Amino acid sequence: MKRFLQAVLLGLCGLGLLHVSLFTDLCLRYVKEGMRPLLVASGVVLLLLGVASAVLDKQKEEEEGHSGHDHSSLPRVAWLLLLPALSLLFYAPPALGAYTASRQPPKAVAEQSDFDPLPAASPVPMTLSGFTSRVQQDRAQAIKGRSIRMTGFVTLGGPHGSWDLTRIILNCCAADAQSVKVRIYGGPVLPANTWVTVTGAWHAGGKLGTSSAPVALDARTVEKVARPVNGYQDALPLP
Amino acid sequence: MEKTGALVAEDQAAAGAVADGAGHSDARPESPRYGPLLLVGAAVVPGTVVILLGRWGDAPAVQAWRTVCLAVTVQALPFLLLGTALSGAINAFVPERVFSRILPRRAVLAVPVAGVAGAVLPGCECASVPVASSLIGRGVAPAAAFAFLLSAPAINPVVLTATAIAFPGNPAMVLARLVASLVTAVVMGWLWLRFGRAEWLRPTARHTGHQHGRSRWNEFRLGFQHDFLHAGGFLVLGAMAAATFNVAVPRSVLDTFAGAPWLSVLFLAGLAVLLAVCSEADAFLAASLTGFPPIARLVFMVVGPMVDLKLIALQAGTFGRAFAVRFSAATVVVAVACSSLIGGVLL
Repeated sequence: MKRFLQAVLLGLCGLGLLHVSLFTDLCLRYVKEGMRPLLVASGVVLLLLGVASAVLDKQKEEEEGHSGHDHSSLPRVAWLLLLPALSLLFYAPPALGAYTASRQPPKAVAEQSDFDPLPAASPVPMTLSGFTSRVQQDRAQAIKGRSIRMTGFVTLGGPHGSWDLTRIILNCCAADAQSVKVRIYGGPVLPANTWVTVTGAWHAGGKLGTSSAPVALDARTVEKVARPVNGYQDALPLP
Repeated sequence: MEKTGALVAEDQAAAGAVADGAGHSDARPESPRYGPLLLVGAAVVPGTVVILLGRWGDAPAVQAWRTVCLAVTVQALPFLLLGTALSGAINAFVPERVFSRILPRRAVLAVPVAGVAGAVLPGCECASVPVASSLIGRGVAPAAAFAFLLSAPAINPVVLTATAIAFPGNPAMVLARLVASLVTAVVMGWLWLRFGRAEWLRPTARHTGHQHGRSRWNEFRLGFQHDFLHAGGFLVLGAMAAATFNVAVPRSVLDTFAGAPWLSVLFLAGLAVLLAVCSEADAFLAASLTGFPPIARLVFMVVGPMVDLKLIALQAGTFGRAFAVRFSAATVVVAVACSSLIGGVLL
């Protein structure tokens, strides 16, 4: 009986991993895309291990009867594995969002001194980090007077009805999440965690191209969009 | 929430059906008195629990906790699987004489050799605990196995490459990480030789090696399975602890410590223990802590792969609690001292 339970536990863990990595995209809420092949492989291994345990150990039990064996006891702590396994299968928590972002300072952007000229398109599509470094580091002030378009989710809580356009970035898994934010003034205030594309111009203040300039945008339009596939990156929306 | 709503409806329907049944059974005197009550309870209580859990589970903080907890577990599982498979294979397929031939006879010399050998195990820290445990089971001196346990997650090529990418144009940081991790691992091995006591270690009965008359493959499979289930449970425990700290301590607390150099070193050492970030990723996190001096960031990257909440849980499960507490505390002290010294010279 105990061996059967081990087989079930292993099989559930395997199914949980396969469910989030192979059959659905749920694993992208927790880890980066690059982990997916490893998760699929682990799921397959665990499932095979469970099946092998169910088939082989049953035969053996019938042949040997009940002889004491080192490996036959299921450690009690192993039952904790049921929690992630069932959670992955039936009750997967959502991706990190406004709650996490509102409790973090914005991620520091890399120092940059050379900037390429902005594309001629109007509005110019930009990433949130790209906008941040343009505002605070580009001495040429290339974004002055330009119309800019950025995509992210809503984090509420700025002063005077402003809010933060936010992206959460992972290095490895959701435990090391960091957020980039751009403060948005004007436009409708949508509920937290709504994904939006904002078009607008730099919110003037301080001296553009130095760290005194606010990383903020005066919104002209705010449109709801679907959560992009690359939700945990600060990248332009995939075409 | 829709799911919960559907469950409520089902429960009410079930409760109604039970109430009908209760009406009929009241007519019969021989039916047990509390039977209907129990049935109603059985129908209503699970539904209420599910609703309450659902309400509570959908609060933003609890959702973030569940996400982080699951993320740590999912991220670590493949590496834990690799480690337990290796440990099972060492146990079943590698004869004892292989290790006695590779490692020097004297434990004092075996420690640094084992520390350098850590470079061959690619992956993060979860893989190294079961491997070290099976090494001890195969007759390797515990001191050497512990040097391997500490150095493997920090000095393997994957982690060093990640560090080089995270700190572009700063090869001194990669070198400092390599040297400081290796020195800490070797010093800890020697400290164990000098002060360690065998009774702190829980006897590992299951790594008995290949027995005559049994199939090696079957031994491999059973060992693999047992080690995985055992270590997996402790991994979940560690992930829960890490998620609790991750959600309860807002990252904005960091900035208050960035100014003072000594305080920042100790603070980042503590943060590395609490956050339990995987050793392949911690370099990127360290690189983003721009307010902190380089030595403090080096300490973060040296302590992180050696001691963190999920590792303490894994070690307590594998080697026993008495060992995990002493060993982790000593490792933090040695790691902070070594990386401060080496960082002071190199950075």
